[in-house]
Amino acid sequence: MQKFITEQNFNTLIDRLIGAGKRVVAPKLNAGTVLYEPLSGSGEMVLDQLPRRSGKEAFFPLCEDIVSYEKEGQKVKLTDIDPALFPETLLVAVRPCDTAAIPVLDAVFSWDYKDQFFLERRNKTTIIGLACTSSDDACFCTAVGISPDDRRGSDLFMTQLEGGGYLCETHSEKGEALLTAHAELFTEPNSQKAKPLAKPEVEKVDLQKVKAWLDNNFEDPAWDSIATRCVGCGACAFVCPACHCFDIVDEGTEKSGKRRKNWDACGFWKFTHHASGHNPRDGQPKRYRNRIMHKFKYYDDKFGQTLCTGCGRCIRLCPVGIDIAEIVGDISRKN
Amino acid sequence: MTMIDTTSYTLISEAIKTEAKRILTDGTVTAVVGYAAARRKGSVQPIVITTPEDADKLLFSKGAVNNLAVYLTKAKKEIPKTGRIGIVVKGCDLKALVGLMGESQLKRENLYLIGIPCSGVLGSIIQPDTELTEDTIAPKCLECDVHMPTGCDFIPQGAPITPELEKKYAAEIARLEALTPAERWSYWKEQFSKCIKCYACRQVCPFCFCEQCLCDRNKPQMVESTPRPAGNFAWHVIRAMHLAGRCAGCAECERVCPMDIPLNLLNRKMAKELKELYDHEAGLEINEKGPLSMFNEKDDQSFIK
Repeated sequence: MQKFITEQNFNTLIDRLIGAGKRVVAPKLNAGTVLYEPLSGSGEMVLDQLPRRSGKEAFFPLCEDIVSYEKEGQKVKLTDIDPALFPETLLVAVRPCDTAAIPVLDAVFSWDYKDQFFLERRNKTTIIGLACTSSDDACFCTAVGISPDDRRGSDLFMTQLEGGGYLCETHSEKGEALLTAHAELFTEPNSQKAKPLAKPEVEKVDLQKVKAWLDNNFEDPAWDSIATRCVGCGACAFVCPACHCFDIVDEGTEKSGKRRKNWDACGFWKFTHHASGHNPRDGQPKRYRNRIMHKFKYYDDKFGQTLCTGCGRCIRLCPVGIDIAEIVGDISRKN
Repeated sequence: MTMIDTTSYTLISEAIKTEAKRILTDGTVTAVVGYAAARRKGSVQPIVITTPEDADKLLFSKGAVNNLAVYLTKAKKEIPKTGRIGIVVKGCDLKALVGLMGESQLKRENLYLIGIPCSGVLGSIIQPDTELTEDTIAPKCLECDVHMPTGCDFIPQGAPITPELEKKYAAEIARLEALTPAERWSYWKEQFSKCIKCYACRQVCPFCFCEQCLCDRNKPQMVESTPRPAGNFAWHVIRAMHLAGRCAGCAECERVCPMDIPLNLLNRKMAKELKELYDHEAGLEINEKGPLSMFNEKDDQSFIK
């Protein structure tokens, strides 16, 4: 289904939903940094910037409680977190590099173990994607097979038009339901042209060639030259729309506390540190190699896709300028 | 808007290449830690070179923001610490090396220092193809007192051009000091709420060389590892306190924070306290006992009540 909506009506839609108690999450300025955050009004939306962190946290928060415990005499009382209490959410103005990562995460969180926390939030969220009209030299979505108007992961997809307003296209029942429920705010599509799409400069990468090299070169001196500079922080993984490793920690006192699920990163020394004291990834190049291997080989082996959508966040934010687009490009040119 | 003149960086880059080639060829050093160009226009990456042929990769530019001293600490096990190592240093980075020497982490005779006559670098390299101006220059450069490092083994020719510009940290610290404790708390609470515990601030810091960070311990857990208010607050206060009297002011913590938390304000505030209480500041003299690691009978004890 295709419809047109003016900017004013789009804002009305957002305000109406917020007014009705719906949780609406969109790019918003938070203490100087644009993040996906719950809105209190449509005026808070920032549509011209890619948020610093990705949209994954709508389903996979930075930190969440999974169970709480309380000691009563000799007994321990466990209380589960009830995912049924997660709110219905509308995730708005999500760039294609973020939406395309969502099906990638779906595959992981519903594979052998069904992660009820992720899946319940996912089921209760309607995603409005927004075609991307600006890019910088860190953007490389097109190099890894995603386009600036990729519909993957969107329930409703919006394209900004030259003369103002948006063309809205539904891609799921959720998207249709949203559009139908507020039909009076939409009109029939007109012949207006769409704003030109972003054109990332990075050349298309042959991902099959990258994988073929990774299949055979686990031990290669190149890893040292690529990653000796890596300082071992988690910035790349934490801003990535597709990285999904987490750690489970118990925090509290002997009397009561919570078990929590936190984001984790393979760049951390602690990530593979065994209880015995041994660490199989005993140097930063081995840890960084895992980042590339997981994204372009292991995930592909298991799910037939790449675990990178080319958003460029890790390139912009790496403290030491590590450039995954450059690394993958170089690998694709190796024999 | 005042533009910062960095034309001298071209000749400085040539001089670095020539010197690095020479010291690698004649065996003065086994490796040189420096800066090299990366894919994006204006972007620079740290690099470790071990052969004279690779010396041509070295350069210095407005994007050479990293404090390379971090690569010489024991936390970076990947860099071979055998023989003498060459390192490209700005004045601010040199202060960190001096601090590490004072803490017995490095020996001067094991280093070959290539000092940079530095007019300033960018405050952020998120978009590296940016002109260096009074707005984009790193705030630390506005307060720099070592544009021309001293005591190095080699310094390329060139005079830093440093226009007088408004100091940002001093003004911001004064603003925060003027707030009530409740207002100040609400400012930091909002800033710390953005922390995602990626530990980029810790990992780039030359002084965070603990074999195992207190915040990574879980037997017993000393600090909540969860990115929630209690753990975030604990981490940032521990970091600030642990660096008091040690931080050399390179501001890498603040530059690399993906959530834009103004971390160097905490470090500058600590430095100010240390200056007032103990007349101590990070400089270019090797000081084996920092003010917080020794007791002196003349120390102010009025706080003991």
